[in-house]
Amino acid sequence: MAAVTLSKTAASSVIDLVDVSIGYGKDAPPVLVDVNLSVERGSFVAIVGPSGVGKSTLLRVVAGLHTARSGGVTIHQDQRPGHRPVGLVFQDSRLLPWRRVIRNVEFGLEGLPVSRDERRQRAEAALKLVRLDGYARRWPYELSGGQRQRIGIARAMAVDPDILLMDEPFGALDAITRHNLQDELRRIHQETGKTVLFVTHDLEEAVHLADRIIVLGGTPARVVRDVRNSAGRDGAVFRDQVEQLRSEIADNYSI
Amino acid sequence: MKTYNKIALSALGVIVFLLAWEAVARSGVVPARLLPSPSAVPAAFLSEFKSGTWQAMVLASLSHYLVGLSLGTFLGVSFGTAAALWGKWDAFQAWVVRMLRPIPAIAWIPFAIIWFGVSEGAASFLIALTVFWINYYASYAAVRGVDKDLIELGYAFGQGGLIPRLFKIILPGALPGILSGLRAGLGQGWMTVVAAELFGISGLGMRMMEASGLLATHIVVLYMVTIALLYGVSDFLFMQVQSRVLSWQR
Repeated sequence: MAAVTLSKTAASSVIDLVDVSIGYGKDAPPVLVDVNLSVERGSFVAIVGPSGVGKSTLLRVVAGLHTARSGGVTIHQDQRPGHRPVGLVFQDSRLLPWRRVIRNVEFGLEGLPVSRDERRQRAEAALKLVRLDGYARRWPYELSGGQRQRIGIARAMAVDPDILLMDEPFGALDAITRHNLQDELRRIHQETGKTVLFVTHDLEEAVHLADRIIVLGGTPARVVRDVRNSAGRDGAVFRDQVEQLRSEIADNYSI
Repeated sequence: MKTYNKIALSALGVIVFLLAWEAVARSGVVPARLLPSPSAVPAAFLSEFKSGTWQAMVLASLSHYLVGLSLGTFLGVSFGTAAALWGKWDAFQAWVVRMLRPIPAIAWIPFAIIWFGVSEGAASFLIALTVFWINYYASYAAVRGVDKDLIELGYAFGQGGLIPRLFKIILPGALPGILSGLRAGLGQGWMTVVAAELFGISGLGMRMMEASGLLATHIVVLYMVTIALLYGVSDFLFMQVQSRVLSWQR
């Protein structure tokens, strides 16, 4: 069993996965094997693959919510005080319905050595970052799906994480909202320089957002492709990249 | 429906009910000894109030009620929550709970008297017992029903320890269910007040027994109305608090 190791030594990568194998249950066959992955500081990495391949499971291991069966998971944590190694954004926003927006954003800061005033300031700054600074006093039920996702991003950004982990965060949104939020996320990534690990099954989304795309496939799944990507959103390069990945995934699709 | 209309309709319902009752009582179809008319109640109230009996009985019952209710609620919520949280404890107490649960409060009256004497303590004990079970089961179900994803959220954001998990996620998440239990206990508690005082502990129940022994049915009705009003007021106040506390719900 391999839990996440927090390393304080400086490194160019934020997370290092070495020979990681992941499974559920003691005797069940593994879901993911031989995962070796280093995520460089400031990069935007997307993990794609067919559903059920273990993308989210991999993310949960990095978040410390699930323990890898073997191998090493290291997060190189920065020395700055008052932050958490990871900030997680869920597909279903997961706001606490009994907390107003601002208190939801403060949630991850509680338990950190951060004064009440600083907590409030950081939560307000995070709300501003996702352009919902007028919504601090609202209840979650008053928000639209897109707004709830923005709050989820603000909550993760408020803890100033070494790495922002996103588990299909726009998967449940309508196409227009999804497009808007993708652009917002790109802007946030550019403004803050935050390292992002982003799980999606939407290839267009991966090609649009990420500068590196990891393709998982096979049974048990492993990393079948690791592509540098700079295709952007439109044009022939974008379409080629998407098609390339699509055939890559189809070749390794075996369920 | 507008709030104003709702209140008007509720008031109309009460008035029609009282008028119908008065009509049946006055028609002579039923002997006055068996069914006192509601118009006899104000007079009964005045005489009981002037002698100070009414106030004394209300205060006595209120004190049994409040002690029993708080004790039963506190213990019920605590034990229900604990059983829902810890599987081992749940298994350990499951059959004890099953055996004790079906015994109604009135069956405990002999023991209440043996343990506490004919005293305030005995009445409070019986009320606490009734209220306990309601809150035990309501809290158990409410805590079990808390969204597991929210608990996972707690772990993801460093709030996975017992104390933050309990106070920031489980209890707030279970609160609507726990409050329904509280509300049910509030009503059941008043019902038990009467039963608990029937064997001579000073209070509304005892006074009702005395009056019925003398066939003073109008006094019995006075105290029935008194309990109804006390319950109505406590339920209304509780609902006011509840809607404040749960203002985050749609």
